[in-house]
Amino acid sequence: MIEPALPILIEDVFLAYGDHPVLNALSLNVAAGTVTALLGGNGAGKSTTLSTLLGFVRADAGRVAICGIDPGSQPEAARRNIAYLPENVALYEHLTAVENARYLLALSGDTQDRAAITDAFAAAGLQERAWDQRLGAFSKGMRQKVAIAVALLREVPVLLLDEPTSGLDPRATADFNALVLAVRERGTAVLMVTHDLLSAADIADRICFLEAGRIVEDVTADGPDRFDVRALHARFAVSAERLAA
Amino acid sequence: MNVVRLIARDELRLMARNRVAVIASVLMVLLTLVAVASSWAHQRGIADLRERHQHAAEEAFDGQPDRHPHRMVHYGTFIFRPLSALAAFDPGVDTFTGNSMFLEGHRQNTANFGDVNQSSLLVRFGQLTPAFVLQAVAPLLLIFLGYGAVARETERGTLRVLMMQGASRTQIVGGKLLALGTVALLLALPAIVGLVALAGQPGASALPMAVIVFGYTAWLLLWVLAIVLVSTLVRRSRDALLALIAIWAVMVVLLPRVAPSLAEAAVPLRNRLQTDVAIARDLRKLGDAHNPEDPTFARFKASVLERYGVTRVEDLPVNYKGLLAVEGERITSNLFNRYGSESYDAQGRQNAIAGAIGMISPAIALRSLSMAAAGTDFAAHRGFLEQAEAYRYSLVQRLNQLEADGVSYADDTAKDSGADRRKRVSADHWEAMPDFTYKAPTGATLAGRALPGLAIVLGWLAAAAALLALATRRLGERR
Repeated sequence: MIEPALPILIEDVFLAYGDHPVLNALSLNVAAGTVTALLGGNGAGKSTTLSTLLGFVRADAGRVAICGIDPGSQPEAARRNIAYLPENVALYEHLTAVENARYLLALSGDTQDRAAITDAFAAAGLQERAWDQRLGAFSKGMRQKVAIAVALLREVPVLLLDEPTSGLDPRATADFNALVLAVRERGTAVLMVTHDLLSAADIADRICFLEAGRIVEDVTADGPDRFDVRALHARFAVSAERLAA
Repeated sequence: MNVVRLIARDELRLMARNRVAVIASVLMVLLTLVAVASSWAHQRGIADLRERHQHAAEEAFDGQPDRHPHRMVHYGTFIFRPLSALAAFDPGVDTFTGNSMFLEGHRQNTANFGDVNQSSLLVRFGQLTPAFVLQAVAPLLLIFLGYGAVARETERGTLRVLMMQGASRTQIVGGKLLALGTVALLLALPAIVGLVALAGQPGASALPMAVIVFGYTAWLLLWVLAIVLVSTLVRRSRDALLALIAIWAVMVVLLPRVAPSLAEAAVPLRNRLQTDVAIARDLRKLGDAHNPEDPTFARFKASVLERYGVTRVEDLPVNYKGLLAVEGERITSNLFNRYGSESYDAQGRQNAIAGAIGMISPAIALRSLSMAAAGTDFAAHRGFLEQAEAYRYSLVQRLNQLEADGVSYADDTAKDSGADRRKRVSADHWEAMPDFTYKAPTGATLAGRALPGLAIVLGWLAAAAALLALATRRLGERR
């Protein structure tokens, strides 16, 4: 029996910008139906890790795969399996929420009727009066809900999140976390790059610390308390200080 | 619907929801329609006027009473060049050169009454013609509609969103090209319809019209490629707009006006006064037909006497004064032709220099192809001048020959009271003289003259496409 390919596979990856190494023997796998949070200070290599998975940069050595597809050599094929939410969700301001969803879904080859789209908006918590409004006046949280709804409709196996809760108020953060958990329940592999340790501890099954392009700590949720947040915070602070130094 | 068409449809939807873009596009269409209508009316008026004047000039010549033929040589006649069928689309150099000439003996006159000499200075800046709208205004509108096509996506982060949906770089750029290309063709459509309507006149030929449509389509597509290329290369929409406006100003406004000045500086032409003085000096050197001692004409007289086997001009079977007029006209015409040829050669060298500058400005190449195909370029004007000179020479020599054959030498030299009447020939001769009929270049000739310009525009199109292909490969890369 053939094993299904891991949704996210990073194996011994090296990548440098000029003489500056950014990823250094990085290895990280994310299984289906799990949420992995990748924490690290500025310059640790978090964004480059995401760019490598998205196929925007190619690793100098090592292996990267999304559902078995190398995003470096087949970026379009790999991206068909990914939903990606950047820190600032970019959508089209001249289009309404429904039009945005319809356009993005059509680009990825999905055709969904209005009912399916509005159901997804409702599931993502987007208020009904916003469905047919242009996005010009949408808050960051509302934009994220549109993007999450599109990700739900696409039913892709991989969700990549880049600082998803930065700038969100506690209520919006809680709503967002609930959404991510709903996505996980559908079997999606979620990789979340974040500085928000509390949010990560709330929803992640696993928290990895990235430092100088490699995983230096890999903690899996355990027991009813899941993570020792105080210990993780101390670890995160040390890592950030080391990077700053 | 495939990805390219989806992206193109969204780009068009963005333009449609931009009120400024919609108003500008509507104004452009109206401007084109006004240009077509006003050019047609203007050219129609000129054509009618020329036809009336040509008819009046022919009637005046034919209606002259019995006269001495040499009086008719000096009476002369006006000729008018009929406008080409596509002159309303692109009046070309006609606006400056004029299309009417006064033909007379012993002189080669130039064409007169160009619109520029009879209108305000604004005509020199550029008439509102369909050609001007497509050459200068349409690219500017395309810049305003398309400068942000790709740069806007990069700037706002939606480029990655598109890529994340599986759209390739080529599909994204292809979609933008399709959208802007569609707009370009829609903007050109009224002018093309106008061109077809203008060319529905008698004498129009399909081939030059097809070259014009093809050339202007290539020109607008070149701008579409250039706009998307610049938009792909920069990261901010504002930078794309500034760069494109600068390119437009240099290519469309500056270089086409600098090129003729550079050509004129490189190959200076004699002005009218210098030419007249030089011709007068050379004419004196050629000799004086009225001076019996002049060696040139003394030799001519001797050869005539020998040819007819007589010793005195009075014994010739023809009027010697008429033969002398034929010979004098031949000699002076050769001199005029030499000066004319030198001037044409210099103007040809000037045009070659301007054409070479066209290699770095496709706007010059487009104007060249447009005027050539419309039959309003320098070559067409030269064709008119050469036909006019051929007709003038033929008419004058017919009149001179009429003096030789129709008036006796004795009568021609008599000074008694009845001599003036005996020197006259019947007025029937004037009507028998053939009228000037301008032979317009064929459609194949016009299309052939437009090919160099077309080749340059197509070369630019290919270069822009190659550059865009290279830029597309790096679109969205970390820089």
